[in-house]
Amino acid sequence: MFDLLPHLVNGLTLGLLFALIALGFMLIVGLMEQINLAHGSLFALGAYVAMQLTGPRPPLPADVAKVWLALPLGWRYAAALLVAPLVVSLVGMVIEVCMRRTYGKDPLYGLLLTFGAAMVIEELIRLVWGTRDYVLQVPSAVNGGFLFGDLIWSSYRFYAAGIAAGIIGLVWLLIEKTSFGATVKAGAHDSEIVRALGINLARLRLLVFVFGTMLAAVAGIIVAPIWGIRPHMGVDAVIPAFLVIVLGGVGSFWGAVVAGLLVGLCVGLAGAYASEWSLLSMYILLVAVVTFRARGLWGKKSVLEV
Amino acid sequence: MIVGSTTSSDAVRLVTPTMLLLWLVLATVPLWIARIGLYPYLGIEILIWALYALAFNLVLGTAGLPSFGHGAYFGIGAYAFGLCQFDIVANLWICLAAAALAAGVAGAIVALFISHRRGIYYAFMTIAFGQIFWTLSIKSHRVTGGEDGLLKIRRLPADFGVVSFDLTDNVAFYYFVLAVFAVGIVVLWRLVHSPYGRVIAAIKQSEVRAAHLGYNVWLYKASVFTLSAALSGFAGGLFAMAQLAAFPDVMSLHQSGYVVMMTLVGGGLVSFWGPVIGVLLFLTARDVIGAFTNAWMLYFGLLFMAIVLFRPEGIAGAIAAAMQQHSLNALRRRGSSAMRLLFGGGR
Repeated sequence: MFDLLPHLVNGLTLGLLFALIALGFMLIVGLMEQINLAHGSLFALGAYVAMQLTGPRPPLPADVAKVWLALPLGWRYAAALLVAPLVVSLVGMVIEVCMRRTYGKDPLYGLLLTFGAAMVIEELIRLVWGTRDYVLQVPSAVNGGFLFGDLIWSSYRFYAAGIAAGIIGLVWLLIEKTSFGATVKAGAHDSEIVRALGINLARLRLLVFVFGTMLAAVAGIIVAPIWGIRPHMGVDAVIPAFLVIVLGGVGSFWGAVVAGLLVGLCVGLAGAYASEWSLLSMYILLVAVVTFRARGLWGKKSVLEV
Repeated sequence: MIVGSTTSSDAVRLVTPTMLLLWLVLATVPLWIARIGLYPYLGIEILIWALYALAFNLVLGTAGLPSFGHGAYFGIGAYAFGLCQFDIVANLWICLAAAALAAGVAGAIVALFISHRRGIYYAFMTIAFGQIFWTLSIKSHRVTGGEDGLLKIRRLPADFGVVSFDLTDNVAFYYFVLAVFAVGIVVLWRLVHSPYGRVIAAIKQSEVRAAHLGYNVWLYKASVFTLSAALSGFAGGLFAMAQLAAFPDVMSLHQSGYVVMMTLVGGGLVSFWGPVIGVLLFLTARDVIGAFTNAWMLYFGLLFMAIVLFRPEGIAGAIAAAMQQHSLNALRRRGSSAMRLLFGGGR
């Protein structure tokens, strides 16, 4: 049992990260009934922008850059964690404005549009940063490792899992406990009535999409030190995100969180016994669950099925 | 409207004028392709991918089922072709049949799991299975050669009993692929216009209605997916011969996405010929634009986005609309000149 413990902990932290990756995707699926396949690319973009901001050559005028670089890494990292999602959200805005034409049509069009957008963003990343790998520097406070019970644990994993749990909680509070969340949910449920109540639905949708985009970018920044930064990281993120949503069930917040944890545990444990096949395990988990529960764990009926 | 701009008389034919014209043009390709700065191998690639895209469109365009993991079957066909050649028998026909069979079996297994679903769940399940096959192909080093691929696949001679053609030369292989492509087109054309194809098209329009008419929707969906997978595998077998190897990258999500893009850009949703147009455009653009810039996928992605937004019926749809507009204008002209004749010049 004790041998298993590190893998369980590892799986749980990984699961929180998967849930974090899926969070923005879930918001857009659940509240707008749109599949955002560009989610992964926005995730990658967040990591790249944060890396550029904290790295040795920030995209700033020379004088400002000098002052900026003189700041301790912790400050720069914290600032990047706030600024990079804002930068990425501009891209999200463009996508949402394009996507408006597909609302009310077959949801397949939104999916295809964002697939194209994903490709464009990934190519832009390749153009700007090339195909090499980058490393996102993190403050030394969360870097390194510590000893516990004869084992070395990576501090960053716990930091990342903690942040992920915090963000998941905040998002839940936002959509369940604020009037913004209530309006957004009402808009997803019955757009006509919400519009009749004088609420600007177009702006609301833009906000939701931007929020989902920012969550993607934050997830990218948090996950980047573990996965490394490279152009392919977007695809590596969007597939698990999609998988977590399908597994948890479209439209279910806690379904997605539980599915994320399940996927993390599954990948973590598979990694312990057959590391070659750890990624395969999540697909097998999905097929096993969805074969018996057609809408995932707690899925609701949605227009995405037709 | 499922098969697009074809007139009803074409639908009953075995070979249509469009097909004859296409084959004729394609038969001359090796004569001039080198002169315009391209090379015969591109022709081979286009034909094989066109066959693959046509097979894929059976699922996407005809049945309206969003499959995003079709590269898996193309790849399985390529591996099966190579493995059959190495381990069973080095006969072209048997190896091609093995390619189609292996992909068909894989497709049938997947169809068992997905044929009762629709929409986004269908799409994601096909992605998941595509990823499973892709991971298997990368990780099974001993069988598939892992990421290095299955190398040293030979182009087996096309043996017809009395005569046997050597296909090692690109031009000879081009004509072989063209012949296969021609047969494939006829088979698919008949299939789409058969009673079976009609039911599939009805399922695309409304699954519920087709079920109420007494058709076993599940069986039709499963069979069309299996058929499409088998044909994709067949094309994959040809591709293994073309490349002299089989690689896992055709099975990746990206490459599976490319075939969706090609089919849609060409207009596979409204026309039988859409996938062919799309493949022709995609692969030619890859080589022509790719010669100038590394970022050609960027431009293709932007084009794809524009097509999804403004012309979801693709190039074939745009051509059909333009032709319709043209004949409408001609009719209007004729009408107004007739009016002039009647009313003495009008105003």
